[in-house]
Amino acid sequence: MSTEFQWLLKGRCYKLGHDVPHAGGVVPGWIIAGRYFNARDIIPHLFEDTDPGFHERCKPGDIIVAGRNFGMGPKMNGYIAMQALGLGLVCESMPFLAYRAALGCGVRVMTDCVNATDICDTGDELEIDFRNGFFINHTRDIRREYPPVPDALQEIIALGGNAGWLRQWHEDHGKPAAA
Amino acid sequence: MGMTAVEIILARKSGKKEVRPGDVVYPDPDFMMIHDGVVMGAKRELDALGIDRLAAPDKVVMVTDHDVIYGSARAAERGAFNREAARLWGVKNFFDVGRGGHGHIFPMESGMLLPGMFYFDNDRHATNAGAIGAFGFRMGTEISRVLATGTNWVMVPQSVRLKITGKLRPGVHARDLGFHIATLIAQGALETDLDYRVLEYAGDLDQFSLAARAALCSSPTEMRAYGVFFPPSQEILDHAAARAKQPYTPVYPDADAHYEADLKLDVSALEPQIALPGGVQNAVDLAQVSGKRIDHAFIGSCGSGMYEDLLAAAAVLEGKRIAPHVRLFVAPGTEESVKRMAREGLMQVFVEAGAVLLPAGCGPCNDAVIGPVHSGEVSISTAANNNHGRFGAKDAELYLGSPATVAASAVAGKITDPRTVSGNW
Repeated sequence: MSTEFQWLLKGRCYKLGHDVPHAGGVVPGWIIAGRYFNARDIIPHLFEDTDPGFHERCKPGDIIVAGRNFGMGPKMNGYIAMQALGLGLVCESMPFLAYRAALGCGVRVMTDCVNATDICDTGDELEIDFRNGFFINHTRDIRREYPPVPDALQEIIALGGNAGWLRQWHEDHGKPAAA
Repeated sequence: MGMTAVEIILARKSGKKEVRPGDVVYPDPDFMMIHDGVVMGAKRELDALGIDRLAAPDKVVMVTDHDVIYGSARAAERGAFNREAARLWGVKNFFDVGRGGHGHIFPMESGMLLPGMFYFDNDRHATNAGAIGAFGFRMGTEISRVLATGTNWVMVPQSVRLKITGKLRPGVHARDLGFHIATLIAQGALETDLDYRVLEYAGDLDQFSLAARAALCSSPTEMRAYGVFFPPSQEILDHAAARAKQPYTPVYPDADAHYEADLKLDVSALEPQIALPGGVQNAVDLAQVSGKRIDHAFIGSCGSGMYEDLLAAAAVLEGKRIAPHVRLFVAPGTEESVKRMAREGLMQVFVEAGAVLLPAGCGPCNDAVIGPVHSGEVSISTAANNNHGRFGAKDAELYLGSPATVAASAVAGKITDPRTVSGNW
């Protein structure tokens, strides 16, 4: 299963600064307060406050590279949109609950990527291997190794997040035996 | 190298000889808890996947503590949904309205949660488990996976040790110390980041009762600690032994355990604290805000809802009336505390003082479903936190203090040092 999943993304870099909050940064606060969890509803508003029109410019495989303390709080809304758009996420650091939320939504995400925002800029051509932790900036000819998605957690991302994981688990184990 | 207390608990519950921070484990919990506010979401999520059986219904504990008396038709609908969910899932440990109280207090009080135990909880205040020497792990909405499969992934957190030296002075409460610790961390005077860390207390801990330990679990949680742990004292072991209905093994950290940070704090000169509006980490000596007029007061919550907290407030209120312009709400942590209040005369003290008794549970601290504040009002309470809008209007001023401070302030109608009023505080 893991071998079929696209762990290597090639795309354009969207660089963000430090301390980007989920509400008012990743998505507008009303998306969270209104409990919007459908990707179609959220996508037009992803990074709307800081980068209007982002959702029209980004393409599957593009990479968001964020600084320290990205996406404060255990909110999922923005990650649902990122996963649906096929975007990857590389952060210098994330509060643990933000990391868990991103992973639980099936986002290809690497955190603790020290000084990642120093080695790229918006528009650079990046190649990220989330399973092996490789970060390559083709525009600047820079290559780094960062902590990859832990082995034990790859399955959740590959199955599209917690819901996908549970669906698969139910297929494999959960259904009662036939009478 | 040895392990910290929570590492030992996680290793034991995961069938491993040892674990280290960063390891991913799948602990087999002693139980799993879900509260009334999230049952509907979890049930609908699992139903949509066709999952109608839980992995271990006997281990599931459902609690109605967030919205106990249904202030709206929507809340009543949710209550009915939750009861039907319990029936369909076969959950027998359902502590519904009037049956248990606050899910982060009654299990410790009653002997359901015992030293060395591990449990999953949807709510982040599961950290209270550390008061009795156990570890409760917040799952948020991922509690659905725990319900369906019996476990979920846990990344072993780093532990930070805080050694307490000295004794709190009379009239200074553990909650004051909690605000102080949060403030020192925010200011960098205690150098650590509690995000996803376990704060393990050490040092002169015998002075802290179970209620005081629960109070000291509260503020670190607001600083994003994922766990708090107290090595059980003899008093805690006696409490557990008197109530346990099943075997349990208390856990103590190894002498050579590794801590990400090793901090020390002398508490002997601490004054009563007030957390200024905006967060528990905004604490100052009470004297700095003494005299601030208040409109609203609340005693209760996971950090200050045990019987001893109610006793501290009642000691101040006995024989007094709250100020005419103040409304004081009291939410006991548990139904057992309510009964004991009636037996031991505390109920009379609160009612005679003019306080309004709320049902056991979270009180206003849950999203203002009851007893909220209005725009521009000033509140002092023992709530879990005083983030803007925590219980009502976002522009209300929410101050936090100890139960004795809140009681003294309610009587005076302004923020007041409990040591300046008569009473056995």
